[in-house]
Amino acid sequence: MALGARLRALLARSSEPRTVISMHGERQVAVLSIALFLLIGLPLWWTTTRVYRAALPADAIHAFTPADPLRLPLVFHVDADAPLSAADALAVEQSAQILIETQRAPFADGEWRVRCEAAVRPGAAPDAPGHYTLRILTGAASSGVRVGADRSAAISVAQAASPRAVLAEAIAEIVAGEERRVRGQGALKYAPEYAVTLTLLNEDPVEGAVVDWDIEQALAAYMQPLVRAVQPLAKLALSSQVLYHGGPPPVTPLKADNLTYLTPDMLPHFVNSPSWNLASVDPISPMLNFVLFVPTLAAQPMRIMDEDQAARSGRKSAGSLPGSDAFLVSQWGGVAIANLPKGTRPGDRVVLSQDAMQRYMGLFITQLRQHLGVRSDIPLAPRRKSQAAKSAIDWVRVDLATDSGISGWEFDALLRQWLVRNRQTAITTLQSLMRLVDSLQNMVVMDEIKDQVDRSLRALHEIDDTLASRSAPRLGYLDAFTSAATALGLAEAAFFDPTMVSMLYFPDQHKFAIYMPFFLPVAVPLLAAIKKIFAERRRKPASSKKSD
Amino acid sequence: VDYRGYEVTVENFIRLLTGRVEAHTPRNKRLLSDDKSNIFIYMTGHGGEDFLKFQDSEEINSYDIADAMQQMWEKKRYREILFMIDTCQANTMFSKFYAPNVLSIGSSRKGENSYSHYHDRDIGASVIDRFTYYNLEFFESVDLSSKHTMADLISTYNTTLIGSHPGVRTDLFARKLEEVSGKEAVALLRSPSGRGTYLTDFFGAVQRVELTNEPFPIGRKRA
Repeated sequence: MALGARLRALLARSSEPRTVISMHGERQVAVLSIALFLLIGLPLWWTTTRVYRAALPADAIHAFTPADPLRLPLVFHVDADAPLSAADALAVEQSAQILIETQRAPFADGEWRVRCEAAVRPGAAPDAPGHYTLRILTGAASSGVRVGADRSAAISVAQAASPRAVLAEAIAEIVAGEERRVRGQGALKYAPEYAVTLTLLNEDPVEGAVVDWDIEQALAAYMQPLVRAVQPLAKLALSSQVLYHGGPPPVTPLKADNLTYLTPDMLPHFVNSPSWNLASVDPISPMLNFVLFVPTLAAQPMRIMDEDQAARSGRKSAGSLPGSDAFLVSQWGGVAIANLPKGTRPGDRVVLSQDAMQRYMGLFITQLRQHLGVRSDIPLAPRRKSQAAKSAIDWVRVDLATDSGISGWEFDALLRQWLVRNRQTAITTLQSLMRLVDSLQNMVVMDEIKDQVDRSLRALHEIDDTLASRSAPRLGYLDAFTSAATALGLAEAAFFDPTMVSMLYFPDQHKFAIYMPFFLPVAVPLLAAIKKIFAERRRKPASSKKSD
Repeated sequence: VDYRGYEVTVENFIRLLTGRVEAHTPRNKRLLSDDKSNIFIYMTGHGGEDFLKFQDSEEINSYDIADAMQQMWEKKRYREILFMIDTCQANTMFSKFYAPNVLSIGSSRKGENSYSHYHDRDIGASVIDRFTYYNLEFFESVDLSSKHTMADLISTYNTTLIGSHPGVRTDLFARKLEEVSGKEAVALLRSPSGRGTYLTDFFGAVQRVELTNEPFPIGRKRA
């Protein structure tokens, strides 16, 4: 075939001698200029594909260590009939400090250290957090402390006891207790604003009564004072709603003689209904929900009690039933059960007046205080019989702040807890940020992140400065608190910035797959040509490199 | 459902986990968790060694999820995570995790496929996978008050019925999966790994409650 003959001719031709163009001068220049461009391009490519990373102040951030103690001063102003001399004040202060040292639990490894310190001064206390007035009443029957709702306490000293000893012990116990609280885990996580929602949940307005409440008056009378008192620390934004047809709760109450009851085991599933609309429109503030649940009339009165109490409650009247009618749900809020008056018939309109609401508001305030970390041992725990023999203080009575819902001592405890927690969290957030930025070299770090980190560090240093200045007549606790909150806000804004999502992981095969189609078609002939240049140089000496 | 359709992307998932969402993101599209939250992550679809397919156009790989979890841990966004995955070669997805307190359960080993359970002839597609189906079958037998533990769930996995070997990774998880009792319980009670891991720790939205016995005497004049 002609094809076969042509193929044979083609193959035969391959053995003929061929013309080879040598790597003469111009050709070498051409090859080497391509190589030169690649060499210039390499650093250019490196700089243009580098991600922008602003330099973060790593040293300043890592300068904060858990071992550096944060000192929180508490200043006690002693008010006695015979005024206290400066020497006496110093003596009391020193003996109190010794007692505090003995009561201090050792710090764990890696625990952020906090030291509460007592200072004693004569004279009147300014009205500021951290300053407390102690009035001494001598000649009493027994020694004890009565704590007032403002930042004061009256210490009664028995005839036979020494005022200095009782005073020192009282101060030591208050300060040591405060330090224990600050080192522990009590309060809800700090947020600049909390959305507190109160809901009146009517299970069944058809078979039950149509319920409404005078919520605005009740809030103004009972909740607003608490909101105002806590205002310097956090904003509690109150809102309320009424939900009808809440539907039966996910747990059906059990029936007893003439009441229904829920056992404590059923409570964890109570707040689970998808038909209760407890959503908030605010995207960021954490929520606390307080629900006043009105059961359907057939299920009233409803209480929370266990089986034995239910069995024994047969003929008791509504007011003296055992058990309770409210419970707190951790991290969420609380629920109280409202039972309507006995003669209510289906379809009646019932309005819960402000007076009727006082009890429910009281329950909600108890739950809110628990959420805020206010505990019953602020500032002094009630005496137990076992303690009485060892200590100089026989009794302790604490006045509750019935007008505002939070006493001056409790406010200070909350302030200190949040101050310490915010400072710690701000520092650990900044340190995590540094770790993250260091570990992901591919990640962009914008200038505004650096700006936020710098401002956060400045606020952190301000805390230390404000608390350390002892000479000032008033302790700057509120300023320090604001600085800590600012530091935390900025640190979290920097850490959670949307640009900080790391570049997705690129395995090496992907990198090869991207660059190869660009460079391989150029690289292979280039490398082959360079190889030929060197091969020719080795074969012939320099004289034959002439262009022709 | 908070994310559906075209919003389900790898970037949105990583942003959701790490909390780096845009400022205008509404509340239901954020993971509002803190250091007391237990998180349950369940993933299913087509996948392979170290990856899972999203939307036919991208993949998420195990390194990304591992890094995201580490960041969540640094920022205390969870107490414990239960990670369950039902894809082919699912166990490889959690092999790269290194953040603490993560319990992982996968449907099949490396090199194994996961199979679907029921092929619906009307729709023309499979509606559920075997591993998921047998998990749900177990859950149908428990209710909110159950004291079943994770060990109970895992012990019901039948390799023959599922068609692949489910894997569990517990080395990052501090607590025991089974219920501890007797002397061991008393000794462990003071440590965080004291009790067994109940199903209701992750499923059923069971809350911790405390009774409130007395109302605060707000507004009452002091005697």
